[in-house]
Amino acid sequence: MTRQSNDPNGKLMMSRRGMLLSGATLLAGSMAASLCPGMALAAVDAGAQSRFMQLSNLLIDHRLNPDVGARIAETATGQYTNFAGMLDAIIAIAEKKQAKTVEEFFGDIPEGELKDFAHWVIFAWYSGCSSEKRDAKVFTYEEALTFKTTSDVVTIPSYGISGPNLWTRPNVPLSAPMPRF
Amino acid sequence: MVTKNSADVVIVGTGVVGVVIAEQLLDAGHSVLMIEAGPRVSRAEVVENWRNAPLGVKGDTSVAYPPRPWAPHPTGAEKPENAYLQFTGPDAYDQTFIRYAGGSTWHWAGTSWRLTPEDMRLNSLYGVGRDWAFDYDTLEPYYVRTEHKLGICGPSDRAQQWPQTGARSADYPMPALPFSPGEVRFTDVVKTLGYNNIPVSQARNSGMPYDGRPACCANNNCVPVCPVAAKYDAETALHRLEKKGVTLLVDSVVYQVETNAQNKIEAVSYYDQHKQSHRITGKLFVLACNGLENPKLLLMSKDDRNPNGVANSSDQVGRNMMDHPARSFTVTTKDPYWSGVGPVVNSGIMQTSQGSFRSEHAGAYFRYNNFARNRFVTFAALKKGLVGKALDEEIRRMTACTADIVAAHEILADPNNRLTLSDKKDWLGLPKPSIHYDVGDYVRKSWEAYSQPIGKQIAEAMGAVDIKISPKFNNSKHIMGGTIMGKDASNSVVDVDCRSHDHENLFIPGGGAMAAGACGNSTITMVALALKAGDAIVDQMRGA
Ligand SMILES: Cc1cc2nc3c(=O)[nH]c(=O)nc-3n(C[C@H](O)[C@H](O)[C@H](O)COP(=O)(O)OP(=O)(O)OC[C@H]3O[C@@H](n4cnc5c(N)ncnc54)[C@H](O)[C@@H]3O)c2cc1C
Ligand code: SF4
Repeated sequence: MTRQSNDPNGKLMMSRRGMLLSGATLLAGSMAASLCPGMALAAVDAGAQSRFMQLSNLLIDHRLNPDVGARIAETATGQYTNFAGMLDAIIAIAEKKQAKTVEEFFGDIPEGELKDFAHWVIFAWYSGCSSEKRDAKVFTYEEALTFKTTSDVVTIPSYGISGPNLWTRPNVPLSAPMPRF
Repeated sequence: MVTKNSADVVIVGTGVVGVVIAEQLLDAGHSVLMIEAGPRVSRAEVVENWRNAPLGVKGDTSVAYPPRPWAPHPTGAEKPENAYLQFTGPDAYDQTFIRYAGGSTWHWAGTSWRLTPEDMRLNSLYGVGRDWAFDYDTLEPYYVRTEHKLGICGPSDRAQQWPQTGARSADYPMPALPFSPGEVRFTDVVKTLGYNNIPVSQARNSGMPYDGRPACCANNNCVPVCPVAAKYDAETALHRLEKKGVTLLVDSVVYQVETNAQNKIEAVSYYDQHKQSHRITGKLFVLACNGLENPKLLLMSKDDRNPNGVANSSDQVGRNMMDHPARSFTVTTKDPYWSGVGPVVNSGIMQTSQGSFRSEHAGAYFRYNNFARNRFVTFAALKKGLVGKALDEEIRRMTACTADIVAAHEILADPNNRLTLSDKKDWLGLPKPSIHYDVGDYVRKSWEAYSQPIGKQIAEAMGAVDIKISPKFNNSKHIMGGTIMGKDASNSVVDVDCRSHDHENLFIPGGGAMAAGACGNSTITMVALALKAGDAIVDQMRGA
């Protein structure tokens, strides 16, 4: 028998509600601090959203999840007053070069606001967060690209990839191919 | 009979120490009422909290366990002046226990080293610190019971077991877990230096279900929570205790232990989350709030008969606070080690904890941390400004080719390392704990003359191209000493069964009772003491 008195100030209820929402997110197969990708999509218009994915695909040569992109774009609109303008500017630089990979045009992005923004977009996709800090917005955990670079060997903590006592394996050399993602 | 306000035995705290005693008493037919300061939460909620925390704070275990206002515990978010734990003295006693039903085994690593016979005779053998009030052979059967109760796996090969000097009267219930590629490489490397990196005995189900919990499947998330409960934590036991009839009060913060005219414990009082006070009576009381909250509660409970605090005629309550002061070496290597395959801690070098040098300085236990490295290296790799393939390769290289080696030291019981009550108050108006802590010359000397040179030697043998050493001693979160055990009531708080010298119906088992803690993680010893206390309580209740 466990007795718990009623929560006086709603804090436990809050946490239960948070739990239900995050449970729903888990079922949907993605995880985010904003917990509601639909809302994120509504906050950024579809055009800007698709431009953001276009930019992201130019900056990062991997398959990118648009749900995660929608959350990053939502935070970017709040964080960068010139969000739309910067999207256009960087995309134009890449198009001018007819670039297929980031290496082909990244050096042409001028230092300052534009370059910082490009780095931030890469940061967001790789770390899954808006910053290193405690109050960072979380866009994704397990889909952060950092984990993809090591997914052939290293566990994403809390998502086991082997099985009971089945993790003995050779020490993969650094020359082994990068996982495709 | 158990009622809302009374039971045969009242246990304060639902951590591992509290629950093993509760189960023993329930099995012996006694009514048990447990009072827990924190909330009861589901594993899914904890896992979600952690997954949703920003990458940069995932190392702060409290992000998975936000404290309730009425049951504060340390978090990485607080400024020192607002922090729950207040520090004075040269070193911080920076513990990260949690006040949730199930206690801090929620986020322990499960590493379970027994003490050696020598560890328990520090003073007789080396002329430093304190001897235990009994010897290793007395504790050994309780170690066996602990290993079977919690489900501690370990090697069957005697040469790979710890301790080497003490007897072992029964096998581990499960075999050792296999090593990851990094651990295999580390083991081979240190062997060339004469060190034996042995499998950790650990409270994790190895290759099979145990205790109704599944086999460990390498989620590498043991700290801060095992998502599948393959690692023992006390929360898993609470369900079984409920089936056995325990009464469990959660969100209920005990703030006073009350004595009667015979100086026996009559009742404890707690605040609920509405700040309403309630009083619980019983025949016998067990304080299992951990080695820091127990002394705090005893000091808070002072009365006319016990002016220094309950159980404190010796003035030793809150003194002798110990932990395992640790320094880490973050090593960058040429060849990959690939931490993050298997559980987070899986091997260790224990032989360096023993030796005649202990008359001069502390020994140390070295371990290879097997946490996945992504969260430690991603920001640094991004700061290099790389993009495209170069960025991918740098993150991969840094994840594979960096490793943390930790040296955990033995500290001596020192009465000046002392917990007192701060003037600062928590949400309920109760005093916050204040701790004066100095790791002491015994540890510092070890670091200078012994453990640091060994650590560097190991790092070099690993092929280090860079070594970063933590600038100060970190805490290992093993809270010991504050209600120290001894035969002499004038300089100790509890007797050999963790019974208060001052109050015959008060037991204070766990880390607080440990007179010396050597270098190895000490919860296994805390639980062994709890089981010993449990036996004594059953005997005492028979006569009651
Ligand atoms: C990150 C981390 C990793 C660790 N790894 C290891 C490891 O690998 N090996 C090892 O041996 N140890 C490890 N430890 C230490 C281990 O967690 C503790 O030693 C162990 O949990 C102590 O058990 P306990 O029952 O004494 O106390 P706790 O687990 O702290 O439980 C005490 C309980 O009492 C409750 N309580 C406190 N105050 C009150 C009050 N006033 N009223 C009512 N209830 C109260 C608390 O809410 C809590 O539930 C680790 C600790 C941490 C933080
Ligand atoms: S490695 Fe994973 S499954 Fe095993 S104990 Fe740790 S968290 Fe649980």
